[in-house]
Amino acid sequence: MDNLVAAADWRRAGVGRGIRVKNNLIQPAASERLTAVKRVFREAFFVAVIGAAFAFGANMVSPRGLALTRNYFPAGINRPVSAARDVANTNVPASSPAQLLAVRLKKQGLQWVDGRQAAQLFHDPRFRQGSIAFIDARDEQHYGEGHIPGACEFDPYHPEKYFATALPVCRAAEQIVVYCNGGDCDDSESAAITLRDVGIANQKLFVYTGGITEWTTNGLPVEIGGRNSGNLRSTNK
Amino acid sequence: MNANQSSWSRTAADIFAVLARWLLGAVFLYMGLNKALHPVEFLKMVRQYDLVQSSLLLNSIAAALPWFEIFCGLLLLAGVAVRGTAVMLIVMLVPFTVLVFRRALAIQSAQAIPFCAIKFDCGCGTGEVFICRKLLENFFFILFSVWLVAGYGRKLCVRHSLLSCTAKTSLTEDGGSQISPNLPRL
Repeated sequence: MDNLVAAADWRRAGVGRGIRVKNNLIQPAASERLTAVKRVFREAFFVAVIGAAFAFGANMVSPRGLALTRNYFPAGINRPVSAARDVANTNVPASSPAQLLAVRLKKQGLQWVDGRQAAQLFHDPRFRQGSIAFIDARDEQHYGEGHIPGACEFDPYHPEKYFATALPVCRAAEQIVVYCNGGDCDDSESAAITLRDVGIANQKLFVYTGGITEWTTNGLPVEIGGRNSGNLRSTNK
Repeated sequence: MNANQSSWSRTAADIFAVLARWLLGAVFLYMGLNKALHPVEFLKMVRQYDLVQSSLLLNSIAAALPWFEIFCGLLLLAGVAVRGTAVMLIVMLVPFTVLVFRRALAIQSAQAIPFCAIKFDCGCGTGEVFICRKLLENFFFILFSVWLVAGYGRKLCVRHSLLSCTAKTSLTEDGGSQISPNLPRL
């Protein structure tokens, strides 16, 4: 009798595999199997809802959390390569990465400099006087590991942290060279657009397309640590 | 002898399923934490897949996904709502694996290198990985998740099923009865 009551409970719960009660095998009916499956999906729904609430809540209280409504990619939400290719396909015939990048920057109304021009600007005496400024658009860690000597840090994903130091430098300068890693990296574009949006004149802004990768490949020096730390490292080939 | 063998294989399957549950939980917790600690990097990774055209949607995915993985990882480690959580893991893993595969194909056609030589940061939270290893890894994760959905890995659970309030009594195969808080396997 106990077994029969237990079997009834078992069946109400949604039986999966067959069980033996006093030598009679109770096979799970299709409807019971369906009930069990529905229960699993109901549970998954609960996990999804509670998990989503937890996730957005955690992002909100996390000091590193993302602002949901902010546009972190003012240069365009499409990834740099595909966006450039789209532009190139519709406007001008461009195939090499450098050409694609040039097309993309042109679309944003930005000017650019290559490695030779960046080096010239770096060695120009006006750089020491503050008329030429270099802006590093990479994150804090990469900046600390090595940046163009005298470059000012400006991470476009956390601009509010750097406005106080970067804006006076940019306002004082006549030419501003913004760089990131080079290649597919478009953080320099984002930084240039962000600076333009807060009132820095567009004609002063130049994106260094080769970035720090080209800079070090060309054997130019980098500065370790903070700005003007004096801790220079040669990157001679 | 057969009964002994059967009992031994059941025990082994149970132990293995619990280990698989803990492994999945630990992996999701680790990968989620890596992403949650570097949300901007993860945001850039999500952008690489060209999934959405709205910054709000992109930000929402990048903001919520790492914490959701942490949540699922914790549930699996503790053994709470295991089947529902495993379903969510499958829901995340299958489309992600397809996306990674498609991206690898695109890289292969662009660079003209053997498929298994492709190495890139897929945004999984573990840095750069070889594509074949990643696909194999995901295949096993999906397999483990399906196994958990089927009802295995219920030992050492705080609350295996959130919605089990009626199944208080279960039956042993020899006709006896025992108290069990868990639902049967599918």
